[in-house]
Amino acid sequence: MTSLIAIGAAIAVFTGIGAGIGIGLATGKAAESIARQPEAEGKIRSTLLLGCALAEATAIYGFVIGLLIIILLG
Amino acid sequence: MFTIPVGKGLPIYESVVVTWIVMAVLVLLSMILVRNLKVENPGKKQLALESGYLFFRNFFYNLLGEHGARYIPYMITVILYIGLANIMGVFGFVPPTKDMGVTIALSLMSIFLIEYAGIRHKGTKGWIKAFAQPVAVMLPINILEIFIRPLSLCMRLFGNVLGSYVVMKLIEIICPILLPIPFNLYFDFFDGFIQAYVFVFLTSLFINEAVE
Repeated sequence: MTSLIAIGAAIAVFTGIGAGIGIGLATGKAAESIARQPEAEGKIRSTLLLGCALAEATAIYGFVIGLLIIILLG
Repeated sequence: MFTIPVGKGLPIYESVVVTWIVMAVLVLLSMILVRNLKVENPGKKQLALESGYLFFRNFFYNLLGEHGARYIPYMITVILYIGLANIMGVFGFVPPTKDMGVTIALSLMSIFLIEYAGIRHKGTKGWIKAFAQPVAVMLPINILEIFIRPLSLCMRLFGNVLGSYVVMKLIEIICPILLPIPFNLYFDFFDGFIQAYVFVFLTSLFINEAVE
């Protein structure tokens, strides 16, 4: 039973893949657009941070779910 | 968990005690820093204080816009509190934002302020009408947003701080000397400030949206 709970929590942490890909794509595009238009850096940075915060939320949800699985079931 | 010896003993959570410490630091700093302020030839301390305040003020003014400018002092208070609370791990305390109760309270305050700003600016009728904007089909989604926004604000802050706390504890188990320093810089300072920034950034964006 304990190993099943551990596997469940590990599967929940797989949400990190999506957040990683998303933040990577967003940062790459931001670097590209700063290279193209350096004067718009401030606006690009705040948009990037907003996007990163929203993309990262999925990873955090996965982490919280994993934690809940361990705390409630384990 | 601490206990105050009153009657049978009053249990107090660790996050509350650390919050008191954060409050004491902030209150003392603000009392010491605003002493002897002058209009004519200000000292170095006052100039640093003024430029720091202006930095925060301009940052929030750009986000909140003209109509939301009255919420700037609250935003600065929240960013100072969360920022200081997140780096409490460096000084050997448990960061209070690791307690879900603290982040729930912060996000509830945020959502109440957002809705209050909307009601104050548009009037009750306008506020209710805004739920059916831009099209009436959006009504359930707009109502759900009232609950989703504080939930995601709360979970993001809590999850990040708890995650970095757990990672730091694991690193300290592996190697308690020297190795934690670079990770400490990343997880406590960088991540802590980024999360404080993101929290107030999102709250002010929502307020700006509510008063527009």
